[in-house]
Amino acid sequence: MPNDDKTTKQYENEAPKKETKPEQVLIPDLDINIERLHRFLGGGADIVCRTLQHRSFDNARYALLYIDGIVDGIGLNTMLLGLLDDANRYIEGGVESSLYHHLTERVIANGKLGEVNSINKACYAMLEGSTILVVDGSLRAIIIDTTGGKSRAVEEPSSQTVVRGPKEGFTENLRTNTSLIRRIIKSPDLRFDYKMIGHQTRTNIAIVYLEGIAEVEVIKEVHRRLDAIDIDGVLESGYIEEFIQDRAFTPFPLLQNTERPDAACAGILEGQVIIMVSGTPFVLQAPVTFVKFFQSSEDYYQRYDIATFLRIIRMTSFFISMLLPSLYIAITTFHQEMLPTSLLISLAAQREGIPFPALLEAFLMEITFEILREAGVRMPRIIGPAISIVGALVLGQAAVQAGIISAAMVIVVSFTAIASFVIPAVNMGVAARLIRFLLMILAGTFGLFGIMSGLMILLAHMCGLRSFGKPYLMPFAPFVASNLKDVLIRVPWWAMRTRPTNIASDKNITRAGAGQKPSPDQEGV
Amino acid sequence: MVTLRQMASTVILFLIGSSSLFALGGKAEKDAWMSVFIGVLAGLVLLSLVTLQIQKLEPGRNLIEIYKLYFGKIIGFAFGFIYVVYYCYKCIRNVREFADLSIMLMLSDTPLSVVMLIICLIGGYAVMGGPGVFFRMVEMLLPILLLIYVVLYILLISSGLIDFNRLLPFLEKGFKPVWDAAIPEIISFPFGEMVLFLMFWRYVEFKQFSQIMKMTIMGYLFAGMFITFMNVVIISSLGSFAGWSTVPLLQAATYISIGNVFERIDPLVALLFFTAVYVKLTAYYLGASLALAYLLGISLRIAAIPVGLGIFIGSFWFKSYMHQVNVGFEQNLKYHFPIFQMLIPAVLLIVMLLRKGVRSGSSHKQPSHPTSEESNHAK
Repeated sequence: MPNDDKTTKQYENEAPKKETKPEQVLIPDLDINIERLHRFLGGGADIVCRTLQHRSFDNARYALLYIDGIVDGIGLNTMLLGLLDDANRYIEGGVESSLYHHLTERVIANGKLGEVNSINKACYAMLEGSTILVVDGSLRAIIIDTTGGKSRAVEEPSSQTVVRGPKEGFTENLRTNTSLIRRIIKSPDLRFDYKMIGHQTRTNIAIVYLEGIAEVEVIKEVHRRLDAIDIDGVLESGYIEEFIQDRAFTPFPLLQNTERPDAACAGILEGQVIIMVSGTPFVLQAPVTFVKFFQSSEDYYQRYDIATFLRIIRMTSFFISMLLPSLYIAITTFHQEMLPTSLLISLAAQREGIPFPALLEAFLMEITFEILREAGVRMPRIIGPAISIVGALVLGQAAVQAGIISAAMVIVVSFTAIASFVIPAVNMGVAARLIRFLLMILAGTFGLFGIMSGLMILLAHMCGLRSFGKPYLMPFAPFVASNLKDVLIRVPWWAMRTRPTNIASDKNITRAGAGQKPSPDQEGV
Repeated sequence: MVTLRQMASTVILFLIGSSSLFALGGKAEKDAWMSVFIGVLAGLVLLSLVTLQIQKLEPGRNLIEIYKLYFGKIIGFAFGFIYVVYYCYKCIRNVREFADLSIMLMLSDTPLSVVMLIICLIGGYAVMGGPGVFFRMVEMLLPILLLIYVVLYILLISSGLIDFNRLLPFLEKGFKPVWDAAIPEIISFPFGEMVLFLMFWRYVEFKQFSQIMKMTIMGYLFAGMFITFMNVVIISSLGSFAGWSTVPLLQAATYISIGNVFERIDPLVALLFFTAVYVKLTAYYLGASLALAYLLGISLRIAAIPVGLGIFIGSFWFKSYMHQVNVGFEQNLKYHFPIFQMLIPAVLLIVMLLRKGVRSGSSHKQPSHPTSEESNHAK
């Protein structure tokens, strides 16, 4: 049978938070039970009911109910075949006392069976994709796990691409996602805690961590914060993220998300707790520090020297994308003396016919670019080339020729835009974009003094941020020397001997054994 | 809680603070660096024999709590209050330095009040976060600033500006001018200012008090050596010109030229100084707010508002930058600051040593903190 290897989904523990419908129990009459089950679910056309009659047990009747489309069709048919085969056979001097026991113990060849005595619970199980078997005269119904139906295949992640590394990505199916993790970390210490959030969507959530490596307080805190969520529906992990982050108002992401199983597993191995939400390929990782957003999973697959170089490029890009327009505004408006004379003359010549101050000019271009970017994301694919022609030629070149914008400003804005795409985490890129506008206003009004004031506020803000109790600027403030091995530089794997302390549990921090540095033969042969 | 490392970082940056703006010990001319060095040593004596000893006797309390405990409610309140005023006044001086120099060097058309308001706001934002946030901030800033200082010195040296012959001859006019320049001015500014840390030490996480002593003194000595070296750089690059330049090190930086491309990096150097001044003024702002919070038993966030307003309004008192510098160097350093940095702490220490009964009687009691203020602490 195809469903034998499914892990336990704890239906019984997951009572819906706001049960509005009155609790109904099953009664011995099959027809009334079926009718009630139908009524409970509103009697849609996708609710399938198949009634069977057994030749033994006084020709007892029983019925299978399931919702079409969310069950595993092949598995269901196989099971039905077995049931029919059994129903048509007359059993001499029945071994089992009742049809119910006969079915559960001898006939249904399914790995996971459950038992309920209430209509409500039976219906919720059907909504999860299970099949309900109701037997005439029995006060209980059998839940057969037939979860399945169509879901997207495991494909290459579209948002976090790498040159070298696994090409698998998470899907919308929670079970597929947990299996992807299980396949990478085959440790018996890997834990999956399940929850259900959303009174209407009843979305399954999995909390994944390695016992003994993730910090116990963090796991407890994740549970506590998830349990506190009270909402009608959860459609994406973003819903969860906004409920459980440590501070409500901040431009910086306080939880990491990834579409890549290998990145999620790397996080688990470093002591992070993963929160998977059914219906989205993006899983959340917590706790997280600022520097984590500049790490790409490829850093660990490429050689360490190139990885270090790329990481410094990314950090630089973050600051460029945040600061470059404001520095340009500040220097051209307030501190022209800082520029070399020849550059100053050339800039002044370009700006000669420009009617706007540098701040307004920069704002015009930045907003134009943001509109272009948003259009690029939303528009139908076919219109793409048209927009790029309009964007590049009309808004760029023509605006310069028309004397509305200076060419230098176009360069600054384009470079800023490109730099903002270098940051591997999209949500951190967005933070840089938002902060950029604030800094531009400060630069336009107070020059470098304004930029510095803005940066000080930003630093004070970031020093106050925490992600699940862990300081956001961790390896720097508070300074943790041993964690610096994976921040600006990525040391070779044989030198990465410990997990990041203060993130992972203190008891188990050793990662790799000592003395593994490859060394050439002593004779040099 | 604050780590020892954060505390040491804050000691360093706090002492460097606005010291980089002035040629300390200017009266000793070429031998100014010796005055600074004497100031460092004298300050060290003060720090280790008075300031740290006070904290050692009451490791779990801050200055205000100590006053209240040893001097009783009324006299303790009075002493606590004058320290709030003292910290505010120091902060006002730094705000004014920051604002006046910003206008002088970078923002010639911006009104003074606006610049001061911004400075108070960015200081207040950090103070509102509580000691944990401020100390983490300093820990983050220190390596960046030190790195920039090192680059600046390398540029000064590579531009051929530094000529150590300008330091010669040593002790041309004897030792007296050197000593006169150091005592009490250089103790008062910046080294005696360590008295502010009586507000902060109690937040530091430590196993034994000797760790605090060690780290504080290490930070202090590092800052002392740094300031002495800075003084050497100033004199050896500007010579006697250093004495009448507004911001000597900045003056030196204007002569830097890198490959004829970057010729005027002084706005960037000004930002470097300002960041250090910002740290110093925020430390005072935080100290004053904490003191007021403990004095009145209110939360830090609430105390920061009147203190911030007081600092902002008080900053208008000085008529000009020159007035501010003059009041500071001619009067405050000689007559006023030593009272707060040496006299009162010394009296306090003596009282503490005499009234052992108060200490032993209360040692098993938990010191009382305003609870709302505790919520601002870092874990």
